[in-house]
Amino acid sequence: MSEAAMFYVFAAVAAGGAVGCVIAVSIVRMALCLLATLGAVALLYFLLGADFLGAIQLIVYAGGTLVVIVFGIMLTSQGSAARFLPRRGEVVAGLLVSAGLLAGLTAIMLRTEWPQAGAASEASVLHLGSRLLSTYLVPFELASVVLLAVMVGAAYLARPLAGRRTGSGHEG
Amino acid sequence: MSTPDSCDRRVFQAEDRATRAVRGFTLLGAIFVLVCAILAFGATRVSGVAGLLAGLLAAGAGGLAGASLLIALAVRFREPLGRLLARVAFPIFMVAVVATVFFAWVPALLYEEVDRLAGSVSTASGEPRQMPLGVAEIRSYLLGSCGVGSAWVATLVASLLWLLQFGLVRDLITVTGIVVFVSLVAMFGIWWERKVAGRIQSRLGPMRVGGWHGWAQSLADGLKLLQKEDIFLSGADRPLFYLAPYVAFVPALSLFSVLPFSAAWVCRDLEIGLIFILALLALGVLGVLLAGWSSNNKWSLLGSMREACQMISYEIPLGFSLLVPVMSVGSLRLTTLGEVQANGFTSWVAFASPFTLAAAVIFFIGTLASCKRAPFDLPEAESELVAGYHTEYSGFRWALFFFAEYAEMFAVGALATILFFGAWYSPLPAAWGAAWERGPIWQRALHGILFSGPLWLIGKSLFFVYLQMWLRWTLPRVRLDQVMFACVQVLLPLALMVLAGNSFWQLWVLPQSGLARLANLVCAVLGALVLVAMLAIIVYARVNRRRLVGSLVVEHLPGA
Amino acid sequence: MQERVYHSYPDLLLDAEGEDLADLRTEEMLINMGPQHPSTHGVLRLVLRTDGELVLEAVPHIGYLHRCAEKIGENLAPYQFIPITDRLDYLAAMNNNYAFSMAVEQLCGIEVPERGRYVRVIMSELNRIASHLVSFGSYALDLGAFTPFLYGFREREYILDLFESACGARLTYSYITIGGPALDLPEGFLENLQQFLDYFEPKIDEYNQLLSYNHIFVRRTAGVGVISPEDAIAWGLTGPCLRGSGVRWDLRKCMPYDIYDRFEFEIPVGVPGGSDGIPRAVVVGDSWCRYFVRIAEMKQSARILRQCLEQIPDGPVRAKVPRVLKLPSKEVYFEAENPRGQLGFLVVGDGSPIPRRVKIRGPSFCNLSIASQICRNVLVADIAAIIGSIDVVMGEVDR
Repeated sequence: MSEAAMFYVFAAVAAGGAVGCVIAVSIVRMALCLLATLGAVALLYFLLGADFLGAIQLIVYAGGTLVVIVFGIMLTSQGSAARFLPRRGEVVAGLLVSAGLLAGLTAIMLRTEWPQAGAASEASVLHLGSRLLSTYLVPFELASVVLLAVMVGAAYLARPLAGRRTGSGHEG
Repeated sequence: MSTPDSCDRRVFQAEDRATRAVRGFTLLGAIFVLVCAILAFGATRVSGVAGLLAGLLAAGAGGLAGASLLIALAVRFREPLGRLLARVAFPIFMVAVVATVFFAWVPALLYEEVDRLAGSVSTASGEPRQMPLGVAEIRSYLLGSCGVGSAWVATLVASLLWLLQFGLVRDLITVTGIVVFVSLVAMFGIWWERKVAGRIQSRLGPMRVGGWHGWAQSLADGLKLLQKEDIFLSGADRPLFYLAPYVAFVPALSLFSVLPFSAAWVCRDLEIGLIFILALLALGVLGVLLAGWSSNNKWSLLGSMREACQMISYEIPLGFSLLVPVMSVGSLRLTTLGEVQANGFTSWVAFASPFTLAAAVIFFIGTLASCKRAPFDLPEAESELVAGYHTEYSGFRWALFFFAEYAEMFAVGALATILFFGAWYSPLPAAWGAAWERGPIWQRALHGILFSGPLWLIGKSLFFVYLQMWLRWTLPRVRLDQVMFACVQVLLPLALMVLAGNSFWQLWVLPQSGLARLANLVCAVLGALVLVAMLAIIVYARVNRRRLVGSLVVEHLPGA
Repeated sequence: MQERVYHSYPDLLLDAEGEDLADLRTEEMLINMGPQHPSTHGVLRLVLRTDGELVLEAVPHIGYLHRCAEKIGENLAPYQFIPITDRLDYLAAMNNNYAFSMAVEQLCGIEVPERGRYVRVIMSELNRIASHLVSFGSYALDLGAFTPFLYGFREREYILDLFESACGARLTYSYITIGGPALDLPEGFLENLQQFLDYFEPKIDEYNQLLSYNHIFVRRTAGVGVISPEDAIAWGLTGPCLRGSGVRWDLRKCMPYDIYDRFEFEIPVGVPGGSDGIPRAVVVGDSWCRYFVRIAEMKQSARILRQCLEQIPDGPVRAKVPRVLKLPSKEVYFEAENPRGQLGFLVVGDGSPIPRRVKIRGPSFCNLSIASQICRNVLVADIAAIIGSIDVVMGEVDR
């Protein structure tokens, strides 16, 4: 009973954060609403008993991705006057598409036969790790290769070009 | 009395204010007494819900009456009272310290009592009882089997024990305890930092507030900050500006909900405790970024960006060094990581192999950067950015940032202790004192002091906090590009090598083999030598302080 | 004065052909450092144009401490002007008094007795040590090492106690007047000075261990803000800034005034890294050299003080100077070696007791002028390191 209440609260925060992210005018407030959404999703994971996933959600999304987003905002925006004011046509089109999507998703959800979850399985980190290294080894390795490509790309894009002024002559 | 024109009238205005206050509060007390009397009379006449309500209100009014009269008395006799307080401030402080330690223990004993009670009541009647037990059942058990004398005491104790059965109540008590503890740790940390800084700089630090070495300085500062004007900048983003201190403080506070202070003293013993702590440390970055941005101040922005850059980069070597004890022990659960180190000094994870020792050092350096302590305190670089990201905060919001910093310092010190340096166990093997764990109270207290207990964890964490303070007041600040260089080009490769080395060590060196034992012994001896060296430095400095510090300081300052 | 107009980043990141090298346009900021700032050594305002952490240009704005000292000099008699000289470089007040007194004495042809000359040198060298201690302490504070500041001030307390026993003041002394020191040294001064020197000289090694050779400190200051010897001479630097760039020029040795030719001491100059204990990363003319020259000068001042203690004769300290001192109709320009450089006084007399013109050449004013040159393409954190190593006192810059 209290679990249901908690679920509704967290879901409301997640949804509210998402809506806030879309309609916020200042870009940093957008980031803050995104934080609320990501945090609420992590809490939902905790509620479902997936501790590890919830913690990883916090580390990777809230503590990593969101920080990169905020960094990007702070480095490249033209001060706190950066505002996002969509035109009326954009708002109408967005609303129509969202309404359609909502209708479709609700229809699907109402019609599906959701299987009853059994007792919460022993989804311990040990099992997760051993599965990753045995059954799901190939996707795991592929994901690491993709991440490596991302890092190499980022390092390449941020390289100091010849002749460009860098910090004081001596490397730190 | 008429004041001569040459005298300062403000002195007498203060006197007038005091007499007015006394009169006002006495009057207020009298009114409340009257109200209480009327309501009590009404409660005895009317029955049912209205009567109960009237009774409650009467009790409330009575309480307020008592409070007002007490305040009136205190203001009336403020001078002798003030003198008395100055005299007994230090004894009160010592008693409070001992009482705090004691009262932290009492709920644990009560929980045990309740659990034992539940077990014994069900076996006594021959069939398992429904949990939770009712008040009447507990009461009858107390009166019958425990031999409690008066029924009135039994009712009182029974209602208390009935409350303690519910998980929600226990959680509330634990959370309250955690919040109180974190506040105390932060206040103590601030006072101690000022004392340590003073001593390193050949001066004394706070000496006056509260009498003995200014122990009440943090308290006074906290009260002062609470009543400060809330300054708000015109160009800043108001909701974000208000929110940022809390976004910085809440992760630091939540860390303590997973930290075990002893095998049984943990709020939530998560299976993934270590990952959770990493997650909370990562969340702390956001509060700082928000604070810097919402201040509408280029300097704060610079400070917060530097800080975010530094904290995120150092999370990587930190994470790698955290993996090393996880590999050695095989669990992410903090209590398990602690319990492995029960067998004395040589069983501490830091001394298990040279790789774990290196990992402990890397972890400590990483936490220095994570807590924004010197030499990595660019975000708070006072001489360059005034105060970095919290320049524009004043009053209690600023105090929240400070609290967050000291709470985090203690938390990472506790983490270092749990992971590497013996958790809540003393250097003596726990096996020697195993018999005392189940004995009478005084034996258990002694066991807690000698062999394992929360006091050991707190003491060791405070040692790491002291180490951080020591480094802060000795070393200059490292420039940002040098910080990043140190992280990416020095610490990260080292951490990777340590991780790889430890994996090979785990694979190829059997736990009880000669090599493992030799490495363990060597590292343990190294660790012991470092400790002995520190003690020797302390003794040497104490003996030679006149020469080291200069006779001027030692002669002119009392208590130096 | 024309206000400089700052354009936002058009000519920033262009290479030799004018091609725009920046793929990523980041925000350029105009940051105002000061006039109230914990690390600008007084009321100095530095306007920094930065690209993130990189400073592209630093323009000092001065004048916040201007008190019309030179104009006041046209209205006061020389002994009345001495307290104004105290407040020029308020950390080296004895040296300022000394320079001005010598200028006026040269103008009027006053001979100071021997004991007076020795007392002047003692006070001047003690103040040099005190001033260098402040510069050492505040430089460490700028870079984040909080403790050396207090150690320096602890030593300075001894010196200020000595000054207080001699003249009653701790910062602005007005002790050395026209014709010599105003009062003779009190009893026990020379013994206390001896005790202080015995206590102080080992402390310099302590400072070197704590700060000078500290790895982090060396990394922050070595190679930062390099001034070549040619630049140093061209921009008119004097004092430790000049000597830190390797130029062997100290007025006390090269153009000795008063009795400085009777003492044996060395002039510390900046040497390249790698030789006799100097950290490898050090380049001649960088901030570390300028800082270390000051530490070494403290040692040399102690040496001079010991020789003064041996050589000081008895006798009167002050020459007989008439109450109304008529200045002859000629001009004298006299420079003395202050802790911060060469302080010069031009005194133009016109036969009356009040000079026609007093011009003050403040060493920090000339030293600060190079800031805009060397504060390019450095990080914001380096600005504190550079300005701290130049060691300006705004009282001298603004007068």
